[in-house]
Amino acid sequence: MNNEIPVQEGYSGEYDIIVIGAGIIGSMIARELSRFQIRGALIDKEPFPGFGVTKSGMAQIHSTDFCPPGTLKGKLCLDAPAKFKRLAGLLDVTYREVDELWLALESSQIANIEAAKERGEGHGATGYEIIGAERIRELEPHVTEKAVSALYIRGLGVIHPTEWSFALTENAAQNGIETYFNTSVLNIQKAENRQYVIQTSRGAFKTKSIVNAAGLFADEIAWMVQDHHIRLTLRKGSVAILDKSVSHLVRHMIFGTFSETHSQNVAPTAHGNLILGIHYTKTDNKGDTSVDREGIEKIMKLARELVPALSKRDIITSFAGIMAGNTMTGNGDFYIAPSEHAPDLIHVIAGAPGLTAAPGIAELVVKMLSDAGIELEEKKAFQEKRKGWPLFSAALLDKQKEMIASNPKFGHIVCRCEQVTEGEVTEAIHRGAGTLDAVKHVTRAGMGRCQGGFCGSIVLGLLSRGLGIPPQEVTKKGGRSFIAEGAMGE
Amino acid sequence: MKKDDLDLAIIGSGPSGLAAAVKARQKGIKNLVVFERDERPGGILPQCIHSGFGLEKFKEELTGPEYANRYIKMAQDLGIDIQLDSTVLELGKDRSIKVVSENKGIRTYNCKTLVLAMGCRERARGSLDIPGTRPAGIFTAGQAQRLINIEGLMPGKEAVILGSGDIGMIMARRLTLEGAQVKAVLEILPYTSGLIRNEVQCLHDFNIPLLLEHTVAEIHGEYRVEGVTVIRVDQRRNPIPGSERFISCDTLLLSVGLIPENELTKMAGLAIDLSSGGPYVDELMETRTPGLFACGNVLHVSDMVDNVSLEGELAAEGAFLRINDKGYVSGGIIDLKADSGISQVVPQRCTRERDVWLNLRVRDPMGKMKIHVGDIMKTTFASARPGEMIRVKIPKKALQELGPADTTLKLRCEEV
Repeated sequence: MNNEIPVQEGYSGEYDIIVIGAGIIGSMIARELSRFQIRGALIDKEPFPGFGVTKSGMAQIHSTDFCPPGTLKGKLCLDAPAKFKRLAGLLDVTYREVDELWLALESSQIANIEAAKERGEGHGATGYEIIGAERIRELEPHVTEKAVSALYIRGLGVIHPTEWSFALTENAAQNGIETYFNTSVLNIQKAENRQYVIQTSRGAFKTKSIVNAAGLFADEIAWMVQDHHIRLTLRKGSVAILDKSVSHLVRHMIFGTFSETHSQNVAPTAHGNLILGIHYTKTDNKGDTSVDREGIEKIMKLARELVPALSKRDIITSFAGIMAGNTMTGNGDFYIAPSEHAPDLIHVIAGAPGLTAAPGIAELVVKMLSDAGIELEEKKAFQEKRKGWPLFSAALLDKQKEMIASNPKFGHIVCRCEQVTEGEVTEAIHRGAGTLDAVKHVTRAGMGRCQGGFCGSIVLGLLSRGLGIPPQEVTKKGGRSFIAEGAMGE
Repeated sequence: MKKDDLDLAIIGSGPSGLAAAVKARQKGIKNLVVFERDERPGGILPQCIHSGFGLEKFKEELTGPEYANRYIKMAQDLGIDIQLDSTVLELGKDRSIKVVSENKGIRTYNCKTLVLAMGCRERARGSLDIPGTRPAGIFTAGQAQRLINIEGLMPGKEAVILGSGDIGMIMARRLTLEGAQVKAVLEILPYTSGLIRNEVQCLHDFNIPLLLEHTVAEIHGEYRVEGVTVIRVDQRRNPIPGSERFISCDTLLLSVGLIPENELTKMAGLAIDLSSGGPYVDELMETRTPGLFACGNVLHVSDMVDNVSLEGELAAEGAFLRINDKGYVSGGIIDLKADSGISQVVPQRCTRERDVWLNLRVRDPMGKMKIHVGDIMKTTFASARPGEMIRVKIPKKALQELGPADTTLKLRCEEV
């Protein structure tokens, strides 16, 4: 990650395409663009990819059953699990196959799941099955006895979106896309020859075209080019994560009911915890990711209606994300469209299920750019594969031994809860994870039951060494989020 | 039959693990190894640089590192093999262990006996549902202690401490001594949850404000903590609307409870006593799996290190008996059950072979009170608090006088 590339005063060269926002959608687009002979860049205000809204969702790859008929998102979500599965192999990242059970807890709810099946199949998806109580119990013994029927969908999956954003960004960079983090867009000006100058906190970029994939901040980017019709609607979704010791209770993504204030969902995560959600509240503050006690109570109540054995005692952490819809489509659909005022600028305003649709969105955006006349010629040398690093805790014994033989630091457990080794942490730091939270998201060190209580100071030391800075300059998440307020005696 | 690689494996080199190792070697167990995941032995003691350790064990007041060093020296003198940077990844039901380390790679051992001495961890913010943002500057008390005492870094300049556990109160004093300002220690209960001596010596002596029946209602700050909203709670611990108050600070320390680290214990298929947080054991710290022992904070959180070491020694006695196939149990087993006023008891059962030390905690603070052990004995105490462990000895003689049908002793307390 070229965190420290200085952007020249004035222009740092001229780009064909700049993608604003390195969330899952922006990094998917950047990776897709890296197939072509262009000069491209990906910029993001956070210190690491996937640290906006990408970081705090349910992280599930759905089928099309949530998408209303005739919607763009229905088209873009089609075959998403297969696309993710293929990419997982290419990018060397985790994709965990998980099937879905959408429960009807009383007979009046059976109509809901039948409608979902119809919706999904209407978009062309297959693999749906309506099953009865007995089959539900066989598949998921801990589910509530009230479940009378369920929509059973096989072949879906869960991922860790920050890990994916990172891998996609790395692969894009491997193929020549320049990446700039800690880089906030301040203004966009039109220049001569149908070009733009993007003013950022780290200098200016000159480019022919722009993809606005700024997520929660896509409206603010749009307003910079006078697209004042772009409006987001915000709501906060709160979720909780449980200790791995209760993970055996749930093997499917289980859904119940949906309303303005909740999406009832209990599911495994990519790394083997359980995630419970989602409790919605209104907000107009993009930074409002706090979870209150009432929220936790609501989440637990929703979850226990589906799986009564779940307990508040097993919560290891909770968090919230702001989800953005838009006012332009009117029916909750995505808004992916060229700017009304700025040629060769495409707004990508998704919303749920944006993660699922990300590969489809990337393909669509490439097509739109090409249709707009941007020359996109495929590279012969495109490297579609990116190599991650081995996960010690997931490796089999022989592989673990091999890892330690290749680098003894793979034998030093840094994070005891998730069994993350020094070898993994050092590799992540070397490849651009420059904050405590970035290390946590790509290695899982600090993500377990003690939440970094033990490994925090060890990772702090490794960051200090790896980045060549004093420990008091190491941050949690960039900016002034210093872990320590100075050395002793200062 | 599988050959055992080790007579005794001890997991953890904190005060219980080291005491178990020293005692085991003194009793003649030669083929023993201590596995420690940290880079130094001693468990949490090296970062506890305050004094107050060893009053019972060594009859003098030592600091944490001094206390640890006594045991480390004894272990070294006895030639005990302490393997550092060695994490036990797996514990099988058959008493096999899988260990990983940087210099020796991955090894597995079959162990005739095992002592679990992994200690405990601190409750983190995630399990507390404190509303607010997620800035840097939120630490558990032990994390802050390690930063200051081991890493030489100051966690912050203005702190609020949530919870009055012992480490929290000790850190209030430590931060003050290092020039930071501790603006308040908040405790949701009407009394501190640590030892009285820590309340006096760490808070009152330094004029640190102690706000009982208070908690944090919200954390503020985007990058670094900028302050907390504190709120008063009623007798049922519900926040009282309107009593909110903002305190600006750059640091929030959490001292809100310790949780025995029983992941390996669960892996070995042992059930956990939800009141103590550890596995069920008998008076020699043997779990329900013969040959598998547990001691110290993995069993229940102790407030005195001396007691932790004592339990390690008991576990070593038990391991010695098992290794040498000496008659371990005779007569009927007696279940020890917490009854009215008592929140937890360790051990949870005993034989009739020897004197038995009970470790109890009361549910609520009490004045002068009596502890009843079934109908066979009672002991009077001047006072009791949930934060202070009560120790009661049942003499072997009293146990042997019980009839064969007496298989349960209930522990209860009453104010007198």
